[in-house]
Amino acid sequence: MSELPADIVLRVDDLRTHFEAGDRVAKSVDGVSFDVRRGETVAVVGESGSGKSVTSLSIMRLLSAPGRIVGGDILYRASDDRVLDLAKLPEKAMRGIRGREIAMIFQEPMTSLNPLYTIGDQIMEMVQLHEPVSRAEARRRAKRMLELVEIPAADRRLDEYPHQMSGGMRQRAMIALALACNPKLLIADEPTTALDVTIQAQILDLLRRLQAEIGMSILFITHNLGVVAEIAHDVVVMYAGRVVEKASVDALFDNQKHPYTRGLLACIPNATRDRAPTGERMRLNPIPGSVPSILALPAGCSFAPRCSLVTSECESNPSLLVAGPDHLSRCWRHETL
Amino acid sequence: MSSNDILLQVEGLTKHFPTNNGVVKAVDGVSFDVKRGTIVGLVGESGSGKTTAGRCTLRLIEPSAGRLMFDGVDLRTLSEREMRVYRRRLQIVFQDPYSSLNPRLRVEDIIGEAIDTHGLAKGTARRDRIAELLSRVGLNPDHARRFPHEFSGGQRQRIGIARALAVEPEFIVADEPVSALDVSVQAQVLNLIQDLQQSFGLTMLFIAHDLSVVEYLCDEVVVMYLGRVMEKGPSRSIYAKPRHPYTQALLSAAPIPDPKASRQRVVLKGDIPSPMNPPSGCVFRTRCPFAIAECAQVVPAFDTVGPEHQVACIRHGDPEVISQGQQL
Repeated sequence: MSELPADIVLRVDDLRTHFEAGDRVAKSVDGVSFDVRRGETVAVVGESGSGKSVTSLSIMRLLSAPGRIVGGDILYRASDDRVLDLAKLPEKAMRGIRGREIAMIFQEPMTSLNPLYTIGDQIMEMVQLHEPVSRAEARRRAKRMLELVEIPAADRRLDEYPHQMSGGMRQRAMIALALACNPKLLIADEPTTALDVTIQAQILDLLRRLQAEIGMSILFITHNLGVVAEIAHDVVVMYAGRVVEKASVDALFDNQKHPYTRGLLACIPNATRDRAPTGERMRLNPIPGSVPSILALPAGCSFAPRCSLVTSECESNPSLLVAGPDHLSRCWRHETL
Repeated sequence: MSSNDILLQVEGLTKHFPTNNGVVKAVDGVSFDVKRGTIVGLVGESGSGKTTAGRCTLRLIEPSAGRLMFDGVDLRTLSEREMRVYRRRLQIVFQDPYSSLNPRLRVEDIIGEAIDTHGLAKGTARRDRIAELLSRVGLNPDHARRFPHEFSGGQRQRIGIARALAVEPEFIVADEPVSALDVSVQAQVLNLIQDLQQSFGLTMLFIAHDLSVVEYLCDEVVVMYLGRVMEKGPSRSIYAKPRHPYTQALLSAAPIPDPKASRQRVVLKGDIPSPMNPPSGCVFRTRCPFAIAECAQVVPAFDTVGPEHQVACIRHGDPEVISQGQQL
């Protein structure tokens, strides 16, 4: 059995997930590694095509064909302290992990909730699937879960269908469903992206409170660096299937050691920085070009064609280099940053 | 500022959609001015009516009531025929660069359609004009014969902008033009919008939910909630001293990309009510931390709280409300 330090709940190690079609291979996740510590939140940030969602689906083993894990380990410490490699776990054993040990919430709760069943039925199904409890007990649990996620009039809401709820309420119901079996790890894939900012603030507050109360770990997938700053302890920045920078949230926002991360932060408009005291607008500093297709990645560093620091060295791809205490960067020139 | 400087004056704009279950009051008595050469941001959450209001100003949706004074003429009094002349001066850029371009048309025809409709150029002149527009928005003119699917999201949004510019409009409604784009591409399109605004002297109504984009880009801001305007004024004044409890909550909820940013967060309870059955009096009172009994009785009128800064809240002068706005 593999070793895992006691405070680590999940260790993704050199994960490779490929999609193969004929002779074309999309290396959507190409050697991704990170740890999630007990009771902490790791944010995986990236733009479209970065591989952040495929990473989370790989952990849950929810990939659809032709996607498959072709290499690497996904070590997970189960509630009974056994360390399992989810990348190689048989599907039957995996079914005992999903929902019970690791739960997942998605961007659009409407598509992940079953429209034909009431919220109560869906939570009860989840509880009864994993635990030998009576219907009455399952219903009590479901009601407690709705109360936990601060859904008012929980008793009545149990008998409502997803379409009867607002977007924010549905995301709460989704979280209630995910947490019903007390998972140790919650994977949240863009859970607030479809929500308005005032509702997003409510959901982030809720996740922080639940984490403090229950002590679960969270893997938070997002493209929004503002949300990362609010929720994460550690940050993993992905670009074109690879991790390009990894650091604690404070270290990352203090000093970005990869030009991509630096560029991402620089191009979020900030009136204090980007407008003169007279109110005149200064030009933003966008990253030129667009995210490359995963099927046609440049040789060497994938970010090189868009990078202002590029040198001939960048024709070979750097590994993750130490750029500071607990700070890694996949950039030859991280010292100049 | 004289009234000549106002290109568009929206007054009491109202759009009610009758449904089988009652009337949806999507936009309910919205008024604001857009000065020539400025960008006005229309912000609000989903269900606030900002998109409906934006489309109503171009009569893409026919308003139920109100006046739309554009350059001295009330657009609502014009016949369809007369309106066609004005359509050339009023354009729109949509949010989704995927669904707003016809997948079966080549880029030259997407842009050319607007030129043909208004009979602006033919033959070589038309081709030259399309090439010029493409390079103006940062695309390769040689790509005019390509189809939309051959472009990335950011490039498609540039095509949408080129199409709007093709008829040399004076006023553009941009409905969330960067929301569907990746962050790194958003900044490129925002720079383009600014360049074009300056070089063509465009006037814009910029509809958005991203408050940092609006603060950066817009000269003035109109904050909507449930079909009504809560607060409006110069963006610097509104972002520095928001006076309406809703604006305060909205600004405080926007995540800041800085883990050390200290801030007072106003977390609103509950969700936006149904526009079919909006609360009496002030529509925001059901979620407002400062609501009192009187808020249910009267629809608050606009009070001026600074140069051109107006707020619709009966408690805006309360020290508690003012101090919350200053702590953000």
